[in-house]
Amino acid sequence: MTVEEKLAILTDSAKYDVSCSSSGSTRTQDFGGIGSTHASGICHAFSADGRCISLLKILFTNHCIYDCVYCVNRISNDRQRAAFSPKEVADLTVNFYKRNYIEGLFLSSGIIGSEDHTMELILKSLKILRYEHGFNGYVHVKLIPGASEYLIRAVTALADRVSSNIELPSQKSLALLAPDKTKEKLFQPLHIVKNDALTQGKKVMGMSTQMIIGASPESDYEILKLSDTFYNKSLLKRVYFSAYIPTTTHKHLPALNTPPPLLREHRLYQADWLMRFYGFAFDEIASEKNPFLDERFDPKLAWALRSLHHFPVEINRADRETLLRVPGLGVRSVNKILRARRQKLLLARDLDTMKISLKRARYFITAGGSPIDQTELRYERLESKMLALEMPKPGTQPSLFDIIQSTTGEL
Amino acid sequence: MIWTYDGSFEGFLTSLHRSYIYKYIPEKLTMDSAGLTLLDEREIIETDFETAAKVSKSINERFPKKILERIFHVFLCDDMPFELDLLLYLRMGFKDLSLIHDLSHPVVYAVEGYQKRLLTTIHKMYAFTRFEMLDDGMLYAKIAPPRNVLPLIGKHFVKRLKSEHFIIHDIKRGLICVWDGQNLQLHPILEASEPTLHEDEKHFQKLWKTFFDTVAIESRKNYKVQRNFVPLLYRELMSEFKS
Repeated sequence: MTVEEKLAILTDSAKYDVSCSSSGSTRTQDFGGIGSTHASGICHAFSADGRCISLLKILFTNHCIYDCVYCVNRISNDRQRAAFSPKEVADLTVNFYKRNYIEGLFLSSGIIGSEDHTMELILKSLKILRYEHGFNGYVHVKLIPGASEYLIRAVTALADRVSSNIELPSQKSLALLAPDKTKEKLFQPLHIVKNDALTQGKKVMGMSTQMIIGASPESDYEILKLSDTFYNKSLLKRVYFSAYIPTTTHKHLPALNTPPPLLREHRLYQADWLMRFYGFAFDEIASEKNPFLDERFDPKLAWALRSLHHFPVEINRADRETLLRVPGLGVRSVNKILRARRQKLLLARDLDTMKISLKRARYFITAGGSPIDQTELRYERLESKMLALEMPKPGTQPSLFDIIQSTTGEL
Repeated sequence: MIWTYDGSFEGFLTSLHRSYIYKYIPEKLTMDSAGLTLLDEREIIETDFETAAKVSKSINERFPKKILERIFHVFLCDDMPFELDLLLYLRMGFKDLSLIHDLSHPVVYAVEGYQKRLLTTIHKMYAFTRFEMLDDGMLYAKIAPPRNVLPLIGKHFVKRLKSEHFIIHDIKRGLICVWDGQNLQLHPILEASEPTLHEDEKHFQKLWKTFFDTVAIESRKNYKVQRNFVPLLYRELMSEFKS
């Protein structure tokens, strides 16, 4: 099999993994040769689905001894199999890097032979890359749950980031759909990495996980609660969500013609941003009583419509946290406001000069004491206005995709 | 009155000086006289290097480093009519430094906007520049960015490719940036013959294209988002977009 054929098969098998982030590396070790990492990450291309390509995202092999029913690479699936050699992985990475196609490598793998054997092959690829090529670019490795601790440590020492996928949002769904996996087993590598860093007094490397949305029955509330636990325990820096794309027929899975829940995935990412950057608690976004996010509105707007007693806020006085909770004001707009109001009292026209969009925000703020819009702050009045804003402009094709932005690699 | 100048930084500084001498702000300051009609009143500002040096000195003394950098960045926005805004910005700064911190002032907002667009273009070139390996192992990239970012992107590539030799060629402006393993230099270049590619080059471009095409998920195709992130103008020089 040629390298090109292998690349096609092993890219195809890796493409459902969402993570592509290449930012936030804190490695100080220099391997002496080509490459560096860029603090904010760089997306070198965007594929036809609008996703960022930052890393050479491949599987080492798509052979697998497991039989997870949701996975295209499960042993019982009749599929063409391939495996790289460690040298091929290293050569591809360096040659792509030199041409400025990528920031580095994202290496994951099916299990070939055993967990340890697979991990050894990954380690060998990294050793060639780091020591023979002196490669200093970014390397992210999906650790193999169940591999020996010394292998996990050796691989982690050569990587910029490691992660392990939790796959499904509950123990119960795991038992049903991935009988070879348990939550403990999936997180074993991450706990080893975290505990090592803590005992050595080092900063814990930012780790991430991914869960599949829509293959199992968990609610958004349960999913956000689980993410919150990970962030709070500072086990993880980032949780990725992946809308389940049916590739197989199984009694416990959605039917083959079920479209992937892209809008739901999008809303979950928005909710995740609110938790990580906007100071929202998970139970402000969803609750046991309302376990699913309102798909009509972004979760911040939905929160505001439920919490109208917090509004209106005065842009000249409200603190940063309060401003960030105004629908339609993002981090950039809030920064502009905070900076400009140091110079003078801001009126509506100043927001206009600074090109701050008031499409949504206008109902929720006052500028210099006067409201920008006279609409009464009542749910019944605002709901229809907000729905009208979500409507596509006349003449354009309304489509689900219009509101879905790709999730880029910023951490 | 419309003022025209030669497009050089010295010419711009001379114009700034003139606006103080004449106590006059022109309606427009431009290097491009193509759009002017006979009816437009215009004055040609002749570049005066001595005056420019003096103005340059006082700008350096007056403004903090961050603002000096901004002035340089705005000056590289050769696709936008930034001159009058930049002139007014500098005058505001000479009058009272705190004035140029007021983001809600249209001139300040405009000038920071030019800089922002330049920085965005820099980031895009960090991302979308594509090197090809030549027969002697040298890496060579053609770029055609909408603004003149070549003077600013070389260092970034030196950091990643310090053990290599490379040339980045702005084919729109006839400029090259050369790294020979030791020095980074910027040169104008009049003519360049098409270089000979390394024998492996097409092979790696094909592998990259295979990866690029395969990694996209069919059921999530979204060309609109793709186009937002990679505008068509960059695609001509990116091998993965050639069919």
